[in-house]
Amino acid sequence: MPAFVRNKTFVSLVALLVLGAALGTAQKQAMGSGKPFVASDVGRTVLIPVNLAFDRVFAAGDWLLRFARPRSLILRENASLRREVRRLTEENARLREAAEENVRLRKALRLREQIRLQMIPAEVVSRKGSGWFETAILDRGRRSGVVKGSAVVSFRGLVGQIEQADPYTSLVIGLGDENSAVGGTVQRSRVSGIVQGQGEDDLLLNYLPKDADVRKGDIVVSSGMGRVIPKGFPIGRVMRVLRNSIGGTTSALVRPSARLDQVEQVFIVPPGQGGVQL
Amino acid sequence: MRYIWPTVCLLIAAGLQGNLPGSVSLMGAKPDLVLVVLIGFALAADPVFGATLGFFAGLITGTAVGLSLGSFICTRTITGFLAGVVTTRLFSENPIVPMFSAAWLTLVNELLFLLANPRLSPAAAFRTIGGECIYNALLALIIYWFLKHMETRRKIRLVDARL
Repeated sequence: MPAFVRNKTFVSLVALLVLGAALGTAQKQAMGSGKPFVASDVGRTVLIPVNLAFDRVFAAGDWLLRFARPRSLILRENASLRREVRRLTEENARLREAAEENVRLRKALRLREQIRLQMIPAEVVSRKGSGWFETAILDRGRRSGVVKGSAVVSFRGLVGQIEQADPYTSLVIGLGDENSAVGGTVQRSRVSGIVQGQGEDDLLLNYLPKDADVRKGDIVVSSGMGRVIPKGFPIGRVMRVLRNSIGGTTSALVRPSARLDQVEQVFIVPPGQGGVQL
Repeated sequence: MRYIWPTVCLLIAAGLQGNLPGSVSLMGAKPDLVLVVLIGFALAADPVFGATLGFFAGLITGTAVGLSLGSFICTRTITGFLAGVVTTRLFSENPIVPMFSAAWLTLVNELLFLLANPRLSPAAAFRTIGGECIYNALLALIIYWFLKHMETRRKIRLVDARL
């Protein structure tokens, strides 16, 4: 028998690596088949109380810091908030006008007033366990009706998609993660493609036709293709159009309207529902 | 029994990691607290202890992240093992040793992870890896010093027998 096989240290290392690889393969298979992975369920159930405790501690710290700030800072913030209130009041008036016009037009066209979607409110309890992935854990799981593939949205727009649903929690993959891909449509020209995460700030709207009508500043919304993510949720704004004359393809860099690391309260929209007009 | 405290510390680190505010980032990077705790403990112990603790660290991180469980377990097992080997090969009482060890072990850990996940873009990772190494090195020094202090006072026991 070779000497290294008799070495306890070496054997322990190999055994742990084999066990790790086996667990990884089992998780991948479970995710592929959409079945729950017991080890993850158990692990996350243990982690959630710890995450929740720190979430509350940080919230209390934030609250304390708000009171401990110097007076000059508060006055400056007050002035800036007054300006913001004035701007929002004007914007609100404009939006009211637009909303009333919208209602009139809808009635005129006899379109249904609004598609009502089933939405599950949830809170982010932990995010970005590693620098490599853009994921977060939400405090709602299978028991609340969350299923794999559900869209996760905030008031700003689409945030991501549910990758795993445990009994009491669920894992969401942000749009910016490299494993993320959702159908997107340019709102103005209705050109559709796939919005992919790049592990960076901007998303990539890919697989557009060569002569696609897409411009800087265009808004990209979910296309609703595949009936998993409802149609019409804002994804982001086109920052740059990339036309490849040799490959004959067009793609666009999209700045997301909502980011997973900047939201706390979200809504989970189970798949198989219509669309929205936001 | 000697795995209980380190595992509890790993769980706390994972909980803290998931709630780290954006303001703590250094050169766009945040510390990997689970990795720091793993390196800190493994540097004060032996390779088998390091590898086993690395296994738990990978399991906890993989569960928290929800993706690439196998890669997290394997890379952290190797990192823990290497940290344990460092202890048996170097005079680790010098504070420079745990600091530099934490930096290069972080680098090795991230490179191994990149190798295990060829689909990930290295460009995005390399932008923050430097900051993470510095951050982890500084934090590992604190943890290592704390563990040595506790071990000296016989409040915890990390090593059954040095190899």
